[in-house]
Amino acid sequence: MITHLFKLIWNKKKSHSLMIVEIWASFMVLFGLTTLIVINVGNYRKPLGFAYENVWAISLKNNQDTTEVANKIQRILQKLKAYPDVESASRMSANSPFSSYQTSNSVEYDKRKVSVDIYATDEEFAKTLAMQTVTGSWYRNTDSVGKYVPIVINQKAKEGLFEDENPLGKIISERYKVVGVVNTFKAKGEFMTDKPAMFELLKADQPWNNTMLIKVKPGTDAVFEAQLVKEIATMVKGWSVEVDYLTDSRKNQHNLVLVPVTIASIVSGFLLINVALGLFGVLNLSIARRRGEIGLRRALGATGSGISTQFIGEIWVLATFALLIGLLFAAQFPLLTVFDVPPSIYLTAIGLSVAIIYGIVTLCALFPSRQAALIQPAVALHEE
Amino acid sequence: MKNSCLSVNSSQIILFFILDLKNVLASFITYNSLITKMITLQNIEKVYRTSTIETLALNNINLNIQKGEFVSIMGPSGCGKSTLLNVMGLLDEPSKGTVQLDGQPVTQYRDKELARLRNQKIGFIFQSFHLINDLTVLDNVEIPLLYRSRNEGSSNGKPREAYAKEALAKVGLSNRMKHFPKQLSGGQKQRVAIARAIVGNPDIVLADEPTGNLDSVMGNEIMNILQRLNDTGTTIVMVTHDEQMAKRTHRLVRLFDGSQVL
Repeated sequence: MITHLFKLIWNKKKSHSLMIVEIWASFMVLFGLTTLIVINVGNYRKPLGFAYENVWAISLKNNQDTTEVANKIQRILQKLKAYPDVESASRMSANSPFSSYQTSNSVEYDKRKVSVDIYATDEEFAKTLAMQTVTGSWYRNTDSVGKYVPIVINQKAKEGLFEDENPLGKIISERYKVVGVVNTFKAKGEFMTDKPAMFELLKADQPWNNTMLIKVKPGTDAVFEAQLVKEIATMVKGWSVEVDYLTDSRKNQHNLVLVPVTIASIVSGFLLINVALGLFGVLNLSIARRRGEIGLRRALGATGSGISTQFIGEIWVLATFALLIGLLFAAQFPLLTVFDVPPSIYLTAIGLSVAIIYGIVTLCALFPSRQAALIQPAVALHEE
Repeated sequence: MKNSCLSVNSSQIILFFILDLKNVLASFITYNSLITKMITLQNIEKVYRTSTIETLALNNINLNIQKGEFVSIMGPSGCGKSTLLNVMGLLDEPSKGTVQLDGQPVTQYRDKELARLRNQKIGFIFQSFHLINDLTVLDNVEIPLLYRSRNEGSSNGKPREAYAKEALAKVGLSNRMKHFPKQLSGGQKQRVAIARAIVGNPDIVLADEPTGNLDSVMGNEIMNILQRLNDTGTTIVMVTHDEQMAKRTHRLVRLFDGSQVL
């Protein structure tokens, strides 16, 4: 029967070509969308690597003030640590979690070069964000003795630089010494790719790296925030102070990812609805035109359910022709590793898109094919 | 009778009598099988109902079609000939009465069982051929075999295509297998339809005005094929308007206003 259906559709390929193009186009759009979704879902399923609840990011800007900037920043840090509502406070570079800043550079070990996101932090950073090391420990100020800067890397960076070697104590880029490894660190939120990252111990006497992270006690409210801002402003006149709750910043980062995906989903959704309605209409028309054939097939031994299956089979064959063309295009993405996305993601997206297309065409064919099954053979044959 | 011309003793007479009895029984069985009823219609009534009108298409039809018979059904347009053929072909349910096919009462059969019976026992030929234009002649003829499971249809590992080719050879269309119906004449189309009807080796062929759309030459050619088919033992029931065609069949059934008048 399958061969029969293929012959039937192949012999009518000219009249079906538009429908094949429509299904092909839907598949390609769907493939793009599912790739995006599969990437984001894959990212989302990996742990964030830190706890952001009750953590505030305080950005300081010295503006015109250029005197003793580093000293003033350190004093603010000490002041923050002294508040009873603050459980821990840490100083770091501007690329704090969920911020829009990003700093990256290449590091090298034994001719292996890896591009890493670099975060300059102090020894309290891990405590403030409840980060756990999987190997070694978070650096302390005492680790900065000698010419090497102590660093902590994440698993991705470890895999890229050291593969199966133990990274502890290793020197990278002739400047950094690895003292610990954390699992993941997705600074831009759950939807961020788990990229190689490196944390280096900042120097207290540097006038930059002026972002503070504080972990406050649960229930600490805006009254404390206002008090904090006021007191810092009093300490460093002319500076601007901005407080962001990491929970809010996280939402903003999520929106940056989710809004384009949602828009793409809506556009694809409309396209698929159009295709589905088109298919539904074409099938209904086809059944109305083929009543004689339906009657004949019933006379020759087809059951009502057999007729229904045949029409679903026909639309499946049509979808298969379109998908075969679509697969020729889609297969190039995993083969050429386009956009540096792992082939497994493309293959999953292809599988999902194929399943969705077959699902949609089946849904479109269900009602018309049931109608076809109900056609009385004697009546249909008489009409012809 | 061999025993009549031989001089024999009593034990030989008994032996010959036993041998003869076997022959007589065999003859009786053969004769009985010859007159086996292929289609039996009892008190068939068919009423078409709409919300406002009720039409009696068939009224108290009692008809037996014997195995190997060639029966024609005649009557004016709208008298119920096609309805009767549809009831015989299990395409339409009678409103009243019973239908027996090859001795089996089929009135209570479900869709699946009826479809199987239609596929295995009945071949249909229609006035308007009912060929699928998007399939080649060969593919059209193969259709009935598609609805058979492997053990019902292409037995002995013989492919469906081989059966279809055989059927086409029987109607003299071996040279048109790869053609599409649009490339054929009316007579050729009807021969394809006959090949499709006989490809599954059915017991009965039901033909609804098979020569209705053809000229007399083509009509005669189709009639010759049907007669040859009947000569091989296939029961044929044919609806026709043509007295000449009807005369070439074994028996004529006449209908008038849904009732059997002959």
